[in-house]
Amino acid sequence: MPSDKNNKIPFNEDNYTHNIERNNERKLDRRGFMKTLVGAAGVFAISSLPWGMVAAKELMGLGEKEYPHKKITDVSKLAIGDAMNFKFPGDHDDAILIRLSEKKYVAYQNACTHLRCPVFWVKEEGEMICPCHHGKFDVETGVPTAGPPRRPLPEIQVKVENGAVYAVRVKRYEV
Amino acid sequence: MKFKFIGVALLCAFLMMNIVFTQFMVHQFYYENYINVLIFGGLNIVVFPLALYTYKKTKYEKA
Ligand code: FES
Repeated sequence: MPSDKNNKIPFNEDNYTHNIERNNERKLDRRGFMKTLVGAAGVFAISSLPWGMVAAKELMGLGEKEYPHKKITDVSKLAIGDAMNFKFPGDHDDAILIRLSEKKYVAYQNACTHLRCPVFWVKEEGEMICPCHHGKFDVETGVPTAGPPRRPLPEIQVKVENGAVYAVRVKRYEV
Repeated sequence: MKFKFIGVALLCAFLMMNIVFTQFMVHQFYYENYINVLIFGGLNIVVFPLALYTYKKTKYEKA
């Protein structure tokens, strides 16, 4: 774009926003806006597909939702009031085991039900805390007691056998 | 009476429905109510042709 300003730098202009060409800005008119909305509907439709697919798969295979029992730790290695992390049922599903008393253990998948940050056990407060948005969960039940989470943490059934703690299955939500 | 923005209003309503259905779908998924996931996912999918139809019907609408 040849102009008389090109050879005089800095050219004499006290407009500090001269690089903004108001008249040639892209316009979003009514029809363009409608197109955007239709596109958004398409994106929503397509992004529903994977959820639907996984759901359908789960529905078909719900009968055999037993996972192989997995040893978490030895009883002697976990003091009362302490917690430890483990993986269950898959290798990428983080979970937390908390020993509440001599006999009582609780375990949950520790991905916060808000945005999946790892939840950890704070012994002094007797609560599970999610650091991301200050979510709190009740240890006994996994029910959220404060913060943004709305769903309880999925509970993992554990059993103690021969001085070791085993993860048995992930409990389904009670509907 | 202006008809120019009826299409826009309808499409906005569809977008709102999309958002609500998606929210439900994701929550029902994590609650493991997989039937509901399929229902809301399906609703999400039928909204798209509706939106497309609305757009086609109303794009030449004049004030
Ligand atoms: S991710 Fe846990 S509170 Fe937001």
